[in-house]
Amino acid sequence: MAPHRTISRRRLLGASLGGAGSALLGLSGCGTGSGSISAGTDHLTIWYWNGSLSDKLLATSARGVPGVPGLKVKGAPIAGDYRGRLRTVMAARAYVPDLACLNSPIGDYFPDENEFLDLRDLGADAVENEYLAWKWKSCVSPSGRMIGFPLDAGPTALYYRRDLFEAAGLPTEPADVAEATSTWEKYLDVGKTLKAKAPGHPYLISQIAYVFRMALYQSPKQFVDADNHFIGDQEHVKRAWDLAVETYRQGLSARVLDGTPDFNSALGGGRIASMNTAVWYINGLKDTAPKTAGKWRLTSMPGGPGNYGGSYVGITRYCRDPEGAFAFLKWLLGPANQLKSYQEMALFPTTPAAYDQPAMRRPDPFFGGQIPVDVFGPAAEKAPVIFFSAYENTANTPVYQELTNVETLGKNPDKAWRDAMDASRTALAQRGVS
Amino acid sequence: MAAVAQTSSAADVTEPVRARAPRGRLRRHLPSYAAISPYYLLFAVFGAFPVGFSLYLSFQDWDGIGDMKFVGFRQYYWLLHDSVFWHALLNTFEIWFLSTVPMLLLALVLAFLLHSQTRFSAAWRVAYFIPNVTSMVAMTIVFGSVFAQAGLANSLFKAVGADGVGWLTSALGIKSAIAIMIIWRWVGYNALIFLAGLQAIPTELFEAARVDGANSRQLLFRVVVPQLRPVILFAVITSTINGLQIFTEPQVLFYSDDPGTAGGPGQEGMTIVLYLWQKSFNDLQFGYGAAMGWLLFAVIALFAIINWRLVSGSGRDDRPGIPLGKETGRGR
Repeated sequence: MAPHRTISRRRLLGASLGGAGSALLGLSGCGTGSGSISAGTDHLTIWYWNGSLSDKLLATSARGVPGVPGLKVKGAPIAGDYRGRLRTVMAARAYVPDLACLNSPIGDYFPDENEFLDLRDLGADAVENEYLAWKWKSCVSPSGRMIGFPLDAGPTALYYRRDLFEAAGLPTEPADVAEATSTWEKYLDVGKTLKAKAPGHPYLISQIAYVFRMALYQSPKQFVDADNHFIGDQEHVKRAWDLAVETYRQGLSARVLDGTPDFNSALGGGRIASMNTAVWYINGLKDTAPKTAGKWRLTSMPGGPGNYGGSYVGITRYCRDPEGAFAFLKWLLGPANQLKSYQEMALFPTTPAAYDQPAMRRPDPFFGGQIPVDVFGPAAEKAPVIFFSAYENTANTPVYQELTNVETLGKNPDKAWRDAMDASRTALAQRGVS
Repeated sequence: MAAVAQTSSAADVTEPVRARAPRGRLRRHLPSYAAISPYYLLFAVFGAFPVGFSLYLSFQDWDGIGDMKFVGFRQYYWLLHDSVFWHALLNTFEIWFLSTVPMLLLALVLAFLLHSQTRFSAAWRVAYFIPNVTSMVAMTIVFGSVFAQAGLANSLFKAVGADGVGWLTSALGIKSAIAIMIIWRWVGYNALIFLAGLQAIPTELFEAARVDGANSRQLLFRVVVPQLRPVILFAVITSTINGLQIFTEPQVLFYSDDPGTAGGPGQEGMTIVLYLWQKSFNDLQFGYGAAMGWLLFAVIALFAIINWRLVSGSGRDDRPGIPLGKETGRGR
C-alpha cells in the first residue's frame, strides 16, 4: 500500500510538472511562428475597443469580407487598457494582431512607425480623395510613412442651452448664436450676459481647460513641431492660454473637472449653459443629463471649426496578408460602411460624401429636432491640418495642470504660465526635444 | 548540469546498486524539491526577473517598443532634478502620516471594544474586516461622490452649520480625503491584529489591575499598550509599507482623459507610485519609471533600517520595561 502511494504521488507530480513545462513550450512555440495572433488560422484578426468599430460589419467580415473571395477578418474587442495591451504584444513581438485600431493622438506611435506597414505601399493613394484632407495628412509620420487609415472624426461645435439663452434675452437660433459668438471674445461677452440675466446665473463653461484646448486646436501648430522643436511658448499657445485665463477672471467657469459628480450635477442642473466639444460627446451628454433633452442646440464653435479626437486603423508589420488587410480596410472604412457605422455606433465619418446622405440627416429630438450633421459636417470639412508630435502629451500636460491650478487653487496666472513653460521645457529636454 | 544528473538518475529506476547512497538521497528529496519548485519557478519569472530587468531598464531610455538607448545615470539625474518627484514624495509622506496615526489609534480603541464585546462578537469582527476585502476602485468611486462639492461629507457639514470643505479642490482636503479612504479600508484589519494581540495578554494582568482599582482608561494605557508593543510595531511597519505605495485612491479619484487632472489640483494627490505609473504607462518613459521605482526602493530601505533600529532598540529596553511598568504601578 505504502510504496504504491509513493509512486502515484510522484507520478502525479511528474505529470503536473511535465504538463506545465509543455504548456510553456507550447506557448512560446506558437509565438515564434510569425508574431501574428492569427497564425495558423483561416482569418485575419483586428483589435478594437468597444465602440470603436461596428459590430454588425465585423460580424459580416468574420464570415467573409464582401468582394474579397476567401478573406475573413475577425474582430477581437480588447477590454481595459487598450493601448497598454497593444504595446505589450508589440514589445513581445508575439500575438500581435494583423490590424489594430489606434486612438488619437496617433503621434504616440510615430517613434515606432516601423511597427506598422506604410499604407501607401498598399495603394492607399488611390482612395485619398474620398477622405477629409486634414485627417488623411494626420495619418502620415514626419518621415512620410502612412501608419494609419482614417476611422472616425471628432469635429467640434458649440453646444448651448437654448432655454437659458432665451431667458437671458440672447439670440436663440443656431445661425444667430453663431453670429453672436463668432469670436472667443464675443463668446465671453455672451457668457457675461448669461450669468447676469439667465435664471440661476449659469456659467458659460464647465472648466477653462476646454477654452484652451479648443482655441489651440484651431491652430495648425501645437507644442512641438515636426523637427522636434518646442514651440509651445509661442503666440498660438499663449493666445489660447490668455483666453482661458480671461474666462476664469470673468467668473464664467463652473470650475468642475470632467466626469466628476460635481460636473454631472452641474450639467444636469442647468448651471452650465454651453460647452465646446466634439461630436462624440453627444452620447455622453445624453447619458449625463437626460432631463435636459430638447433644451440643447448646436452651432459652430467660437473662433472657427476644429477637431478633437477621432481614431485610426493600422496594419501591423506582423500582418500575414497585407493586401487582404488593406482590401478589408477599404471595405470597412469606405463611404458606404462609414455611413452604416454612423447609424449604428455614432462614429462620425471621415468620408465627406456621407454627410449628404439621408441616413445622416435625421433630426435629433435631444437638440429640439436639429440635424447635428448640419453643424458637424461643415466643421469636419473645414477643420485645420494639425501636426501632433509624439511629444505633445509630455509638453502640454504641465499646461493643463497649471490651468487647473489657476482655476481651482487660485494660483497667479502669470506665475502659472511661467511654471508651465519651465515644466514643459524640462520634461521635453529629458526626451531630447528642445 | 546538476539538475540534469538528478533527473536522469531519478528517472532511471532499473539502475543497480552502484551509487546507492547519493541516488537514494536524490530520490528521497526530488519529490520535495519538485513540490516546492512551482513557487520558485513562478517567482523567478514574475518576481525576480522583473526586479532585475527594472534595474537594467533604469539605465536605458525606452518607450516600450523600440530600441533601448543606454543613458547611464541620466534618468536618476533627471529624477533628482524633477520637482514633481519631490512633491510626490512629500505628498506620500503627508498622506501616510495623516492616515496612519489616526488609524492606529482608532484601531486600538476598536480592538479594545471588540475585546470586551461578548454578544455577536464574530459578526462585529467580520463587519470591521469587510472594507479590507472590498474593491478599492469601486469604493473610490463611491468616496468620489461623498467628497464632491455637493456631496455627502459637505452636506453633513452644512447640516451642523459648518462651511463646506473643498475636499477635492484644496491641498489639505485632497490629502484628508485620501487618508480617510485609507483609514476606512485598513482600520478594521489593524483592529483585528490588535485584537489577536489583546487575546494573548494573560487575563491575570487584567484581573490584577482591576483588583488594584484601575479604570478602563488606565487598563488601556497601563496594561494593554505596553503588552501590545510588538504588535503595534508590526502594524506600524505594515502600514508604512502600504502607505509608501498609495496608488489606487488618488488614481481613481482624479482619473479622466484630461492629462492635466492626474493627481488632482496642484498635484496634491500625486503619490510616488502614481507618478511612476503616469510616467511609465502614460508618457511611455519606462526607463524613467524604473529609475523612480529604484529610488522608492532606496527610500523604503531607509525606512526599513530606521524601523529595524527602533525595533531592536526597543527590544533592549523591553525586558527591563516590564519591571519599570510595575514600578510605576507601585509608585501610584
